[in-house]
Amino acid sequence: MRKTVIAILSGISIVLLWFTVASAYRVFSADWRLPQSPARESAEYRLVLITQELDTPFWDRLGMSAREEAEKQGAVLEIWGSYSSDPDEFLKKLEIAIHSRMDGIIVQGLDTDAFRELVKYKAASYGIPVITVGSDVPDSLRRTYVGSNQFLAGQMIAQQLVEDMGTEGTVILLGDSGNAHYQNERLKGIRSILGAYPGIELQYAETSVARDRVIAAMKDLMNRSPDTKAFIAANANLAAAMVQEIGRRSRVEPYFIYSFDDSPDIEMLLRLGHIDGMIEQSPEDMGKLGVSLMLEWLRGEQLPLDSKGYHTEIRMRKANGGP
Amino acid sequence: MNRIQNKILLLTGIVLFIMATIWMALTFYNRQTQEQYNDILQRYLRMYEVTNASQQTITDLNNYLIQPTPQNLAQLDRSRERLRNAKYDVFSLRNAENDFTLTSYTNLIDSLLDAASRSLMFLSQQEIEQSNQAFNEAARISRSISEVTVTLIDTELKTYDQFYRSIIERSRELNKLGFWLLLTMTYLLILFAYWFSTSITRPVKRLTHAAKELSRGRFDQKIEVTSNDEIAFLAKMFEKMRTNVNNLIREIQQKAQLEHELQQSKLLLQESRYRSLQSQIHPHFLFNTLDTLSKKAFLEGAEETSDLLASVAGLLRYNLKRLDRAVTLYEEVRVLRQYMDIQLARFPDRLSFREEIDESLLYVQIPGLTLQPIVENAVIHAVEPFEEGGTIVFRVADNGDRVKVEIADDGPGIPEEKVVQLLKGGAVETEGHTTGIGISNVVQRLRLFYGLDDVIAIESALHAGTKVVLNIPKVRRHESDDQHIDRG
Repeated sequence: MRKTVIAILSGISIVLLWFTVASAYRVFSADWRLPQSPARESAEYRLVLITQELDTPFWDRLGMSAREEAEKQGAVLEIWGSYSSDPDEFLKKLEIAIHSRMDGIIVQGLDTDAFRELVKYKAASYGIPVITVGSDVPDSLRRTYVGSNQFLAGQMIAQQLVEDMGTEGTVILLGDSGNAHYQNERLKGIRSILGAYPGIELQYAETSVARDRVIAAMKDLMNRSPDTKAFIAANANLAAAMVQEIGRRSRVEPYFIYSFDDSPDIEMLLRLGHIDGMIEQSPEDMGKLGVSLMLEWLRGEQLPLDSKGYHTEIRMRKANGGP
Repeated sequence: MNRIQNKILLLTGIVLFIMATIWMALTFYNRQTQEQYNDILQRYLRMYEVTNASQQTITDLNNYLIQPTPQNLAQLDRSRERLRNAKYDVFSLRNAENDFTLTSYTNLIDSLLDAASRSLMFLSQQEIEQSNQAFNEAARISRSISEVTVTLIDTELKTYDQFYRSIIERSRELNKLGFWLLLTMTYLLILFAYWFSTSITRPVKRLTHAAKELSRGRFDQKIEVTSNDEIAFLAKMFEKMRTNVNNLIREIQQKAQLEHELQQSKLLLQESRYRSLQSQIHPHFLFNTLDTLSKKAFLEGAEETSDLLASVAGLLRYNLKRLDRAVTLYEEVRVLRQYMDIQLARFPDRLSFREEIDESLLYVQIPGLTLQPIVENAVIHAVEPFEEGGTIVFRVADNGDRVKVEIADDGPGIPEEKVVQLLKGGAVETEGHTTGIGISNVVQRLRLFYGLDDVIAIESALHAGTKVVLNIPKVRRHESDDQHIDRG
């Protein structure tokens, strides 16, 4: 009896002591110091990639490959930017990047005076090299341009159109009123091909990217030339609204519709067969090449950079699979 | 001998020690926590300081541009210095996560300071337009700094999120620890206090119990207290007292026993005397008559008769005189011979008596009238009933420190149970004894006299005779200094 009582009492005290000690251990064993990440060697070069179109598939892919390349070469790359059509925010980011004295800035070209001002004077005065990717602003004194040859892209799309439609018919060409350099190049390319066919009549209109404006412009154009056989959206952001307007009047299939790939909706339109073809660019190549050119320039391995630009691959992709 | 005090001191010491330990642990914990909070707050404060200092710089710069007084310039210089210091402070906050942003941050501060300097330079060159431009730039940079500060703080929160949560978790754990500590301490203290109080009260209880037993008169139970404090000492003393009392009581009991035995022997003597008196009516008349008869017989020439009568008279006289005192074996033997003379006269043909006596041993002390009743018994049982008579042998021989006295007959023997009865002293048979003294009376008197149980033995077998053996010590136990010399 006595033995049992003693056993029970010691059992209870052991359990209590165990819980107390375990609790004390949990309280006192915790690290008292702020977690110190291993003091990593600060990266040799700090690069920043600034875009106007964060979170679009095109720029995500570009940013991803750029970051990978930077990491591979021992540099740090951050991606900054604004969401679509907020040029003020975009420019502010660019300015902060310049004031922060980045070692190199890779930026999506914006064809405005403010942009030119920043790149031409400010970046230059801080001695920061700027490379444009995706879209070019040639007269901004950027070091170079990495991206598609937009003139060639325009030519390719026009050739495809001729191939599909034949050498006669009305073609509606819709462009962004921003008059960005890359769009002008595309238009030039398209015109250079289509101009050679007298049977093809080209109707060109400019509109802002706002949906209702695009629809209004389309209405006007289609009323004026009801026998249109083909459409080309020189700015991919216009394609969705364009297709919608065509679809409202009749079926989309009989028309030949073409565009470029730098818009989030375009992939879906192609898959649904609403557009017949698009020019596919290589964002991964752009990111990678942009970063490696920047680092080469910074290390003085490649001086000077070709100011005409480095062109990445473009392909024609058709709705029914291969070209 | 200060064990109880030691125990109390020990208990107090343990409690104090535990409390001090807990207090120290909690103090340590509090200090660590405070330091931790300070570290964390410092990080945020340093970042905030940059924002603050940059805004202050812009304000002061603006003031100076509007009113270029030396006071404003001094103010501006102070705030620029402050911004520079803030920049250095912020350097130490670098870690892997905020490395990039922090570099940008410090570069922004540099740019701000540059722009401010530029603005001042242009002002001094009277180029107001450019000075204002530089000021605007500085203001924009200052706004950027504010934004980046927010980004940094955001990063900070993300980086240390887990850590902050662990702090909260730990304070929860501390509450739990307090609970467990309270429970454990209460439990252990209750146990310890119980053990402690029992260790004091248990010996006291035992002592109380022992005292109760003693007061009831039970002195034979040992008092045992196993603890090693004052109570144990008390118990030891108590035990000693008990042993002493016990010994005294035993002594008293022994004395009482002796007294009782003495009383008994006196009673036996009185009884013997009474019986002998009873059987001796008018002894003096009888003596005188017997003497007269003896003399008359002598005068008439009947010498044998005269001797016989003298023996009878001597026997009777001895009987009367010697019953209550110690005599020598010699006297006893003399009386025995007188008695045997009488008996031989009675049974001249049937009784044969033989003596084998070592005369040198006859000095030993022996109670009076011991041998005669035994021999008489032999005559009564082994000679009288038989036509052909019997032989009685009487021997006195040396047997080491004893004198061996044997009375043997060749009669029918005594049954075993009777022998046992005789030796126990239970049997009372007075039939036909001259002196009225039976064997059992002799047995008891012998035992009382010598204080020895084996002083008498009876060897008997049916039809093989009876042998009564007395083993008389040469020196009497109690009165060894009484008399050594043979009185003969």
